[in-house]
Amino acid sequence: MSCSPTPERLIQLNERFRIFCEMAEDLSGLQDYPPRPTFSAKDNLCAMGFQARAGSRILEGYRPPFDATPVWRMRQEGMLLLGKTNMDEFGFGTFSTNSGYDVPRNPFDAGRACGGSSGGAAAATSLLEGHVALGVSTGGSISCPASFCGVLGLTPTYGRVSRYGLIDYGNSLDKVGLMTRDSGSLRTWLPVISGPDPKDPTSCVQPMLDLSPRKVERVAVPLEAMQNLGSGVESSFASALKSLQDDHDILVEEVSMPSLKFALSAYYVLATSEASTNLARYCGMRFGVRNSNISQHFNDFFSETRSANFGTEAKRRILLGTYARMVGFRDRYYMKALAVRQLVISEYKRVLNDHDLVLTPTMPFIAPRFADIEKMRPLEAYQADFLTVPPNLAGLPHLSLPCGYIEGMPVGMQAVAPHWEERALLDIAERWTSKFQMRFPEVAR
Amino acid sequence: MDIETVRKVARVARLRLTPSEELQFAQDLEEVLQYFSLLDEAPQVDTHDFNPVRVADVLRDDEPSRDVNAERLRESMDTYDDLVRGPRLS
Amino acid sequence: MKIGLEIHVQLPTRSKLFCSCPTTADEPNSSVCPTCLGFPGSRPVLNRRALEMAVQIARFLECRVASEIWFSRKTYFYPDLPKHFQITQYDSPVGVDGSFVVGGRSIGIWRVHVEEDPGRIKRVGRSGEEVSLIDYNRSGIPLVEIVTAPDLTSPDEARNFLNELLVELRHIIGTTASDEQSVRADANISLGEERVEVKNVQGLKNLERALKFEASRQQKLLEAGMRVVRETRRFDEERKVTLSAREKELEEDYGYIGEPDLGVYDLSRISAGLLEVETPLRRAQRMSAHYVVDYDKARQVVLTSMAMADLFEALANAVDPEVAMNWTLGPISANWELLLPRMNDQSTKEIVEVVQLVVGRQITDSEGRRRIGAIAMGECPTDISCAVQDEALGSLINDYLNEHPQVVRDHASNPKAANAVIGHVMKVAKGKYNSQEIVEATRKEIERRTS
Repeated sequence: MSCSPTPERLIQLNERFRIFCEMAEDLSGLQDYPPRPTFSAKDNLCAMGFQARAGSRILEGYRPPFDATPVWRMRQEGMLLLGKTNMDEFGFGTFSTNSGYDVPRNPFDAGRACGGSSGGAAAATSLLEGHVALGVSTGGSISCPASFCGVLGLTPTYGRVSRYGLIDYGNSLDKVGLMTRDSGSLRTWLPVISGPDPKDPTSCVQPMLDLSPRKVERVAVPLEAMQNLGSGVESSFASALKSLQDDHDILVEEVSMPSLKFALSAYYVLATSEASTNLARYCGMRFGVRNSNISQHFNDFFSETRSANFGTEAKRRILLGTYARMVGFRDRYYMKALAVRQLVISEYKRVLNDHDLVLTPTMPFIAPRFADIEKMRPLEAYQADFLTVPPNLAGLPHLSLPCGYIEGMPVGMQAVAPHWEERALLDIAERWTSKFQMRFPEVAR
Repeated sequence: MDIETVRKVARVARLRLTPSEELQFAQDLEEVLQYFSLLDEAPQVDTHDFNPVRVADVLRDDEPSRDVNAERLRESMDTYDDLVRGPRLS
Repeated sequence: MKIGLEIHVQLPTRSKLFCSCPTTADEPNSSVCPTCLGFPGSRPVLNRRALEMAVQIARFLECRVASEIWFSRKTYFYPDLPKHFQITQYDSPVGVDGSFVVGGRSIGIWRVHVEEDPGRIKRVGRSGEEVSLIDYNRSGIPLVEIVTAPDLTSPDEARNFLNELLVELRHIIGTTASDEQSVRADANISLGEERVEVKNVQGLKNLERALKFEASRQQKLLEAGMRVVRETRRFDEERKVTLSAREKELEEDYGYIGEPDLGVYDLSRISAGLLEVETPLRRAQRMSAHYVVDYDKARQVVLTSMAMADLFEALANAVDPEVAMNWTLGPISANWELLLPRMNDQSTKEIVEVVQLVVGRQITDSEGRRRIGAIAMGECPTDISCAVQDEALGSLINDYLNEHPQVVRDHASNPKAANAVIGHVMKVAKGKYNSQEIVEATRKEIERRTS
């Protein structure tokens, strides 16, 4: 926690990498002595003094009258909130390119994406020493950008961190987590944002966060995760596994987890079903964009506002989610997806019964170029999440760690722990980063 | 998903789509649903677990309180005599 | 004729169903918060008391109470619904398969569930061009929905059913009599094969009117050999007719999903902590059977007040229940307004003693009445100075004693001196008072003059 950038430097970095959709007006705290430690909040986390637009034009002008609980808890610790980070609209994306505002640029190569949907958060972490970014993951939105930007991304167990003040994507999947450059920061800030909050019932059932040592000795690598990997990723991950065995004395075992193949479909069904109900409220009447043309019929009024202000991916997911819960399709999609989630949870339980962690690469490829992303069809983009989705669907805590570099770009590996066992993730983070040489982007002034 | 279905779903979701959007979404979602048909192979079990961890019996006492000023909330909305203006009903 | 009802009653909690906003408010949009306005980032937290009330109602209606329940999102777009989904119960109601007896007939109860109310819309402007003005104070008010089987056979019976149900609910959950006006119901009614749904009728009177109109409308159609169209109608309160509700522009598909912000609730645990309460009409039935008294009279007693029923039962355990009932609905009822605030163990005991004295012919009927009047006034029932309420008797005695002061003087040494007074009054009053009454009153007056 040192070396805060000057306000000028911060503005310069933001112009180059499009980290923030809104920055604090008063950055004088950066020049305090000793400098105040800084954090940022993904734009879907409400923070007083800032708009909360969740990357969507439809929330233009929404100034929440309250702080999200994790934001409030960070502020209570004296942390300086630098700003709200860019993201895919409502979290709908894998590259942060579906933003209603700015698209963040990868600090290692500005022609490539940061990943998503917490892309701005990952860029901030990668660029600012000592910075802690609050990210949010629904299906991999912390792991993915952490992997592409070469930082640590911790997604706690579902319900560990209060979602009060988080603008919903999928309420049964959304998790607030941390992105940092070092494992020590995770250990410092995880207890700060964790814990029950009477304003979010799903946070009230958690066992107390236990960060006492839990040594990782045996990890599982599911065969199903080793398909369709980019060759560079495959070799980086293989050498990381070798290092775990040789340098850290960890036993690596291959396992089979056949139900993982259902996870991606089940995830997209549940996430979009919930999202399509969450997004029903955006209609130009009470918050965000206001439609002043009230002389039209309410159906036209709502349709007009929604059609003009939701982005393409938001519309696509609303359509998909609305369809998946409609009479006639509900059993086949929504109800089935609920069942598959339980199946996936049981399968993880079985494997984690005699392993401390499940390990996979985080993403099947390194950060793609924007030009390549444009060519991807929606299903291809969804399928890029096939490694990050299963633990997210199951609500399991997971961590993305940098494990190698290809073409100067970081590669990530993802560790998944049992429910509430975040301490196993901290153990692997600390041991791995003690020997692995992490790289950070060199950005000229 | 055929165009007719896209139109019907869009109406239910209060989205007005251009003809090119209809076509595009029909293609995209057809491909996505093809992929989702994988779910047909998964075993069905009757579950009402809507959360990945069990969330049970979280209740609040019946005590009235206010932590956000209602006046402030009204300010963000278009009001007439403190009533919120809305569109036509018929 | 078959009638089924879907009844919505407000649960009388102090705060809303999913947020802490007070349920009372004077100014529009004054009792609102991010949660009941559906602001992004807000979240629901369930009110324990509302759930308890719903369980009490389901138990009272002899429903099978679910061991575990959850909530669902019912999505539809309307300006009064802030989130554009209503948090309700779809596939897990609090209770199912119950019944409620009205007029000796058992009416099936299909389900009892909890849900949030939307806001209230005021339509402003010319017909056809009205804009909406919305007050969200009601948004999030807890409601219980009770759905009956189509077991009701006439508008009268439907009204009676709802009336009796409200009487019981008032006692179980503490709703007030204003629920007769505020209760909302959707009614299904069919005389022939097709049923018609009359939506959103407010108040007991309107429900009966709507059903009567609809019954006669269908009757006329059928008599004319025409078909009743299966449709949704609405009730026009001013013209007192039902009208075909204009086809909704869009057939809604609610697309129910589970509500993931709340989790599940173990009702067996909640139910175990709730006390069984005896409702007024159930009590009337019990009293009628147990004491062998007329049901309508027992009902009149409990509907006046459960405290009156307590007093009746105290009397019925001491004297003949028939007599107890006559005294309850007679002198006690006549003085009830004054008696009610004085009712306690002591006053109950005093009243029971008075009635026992009358039954034992130790005092007259009218003295018994007088004493109950005295108890109602907070006076000592046997204190003559304040108690000779029969002024005619009082003045007869007083006049005689004034004219014959020696009677008072002699009475100290010879109590029989009072007989002169008694003989005189008996003669003058021509049997209007019995001797017991006169003896008592004379003795009191003489004692007063000598003390």
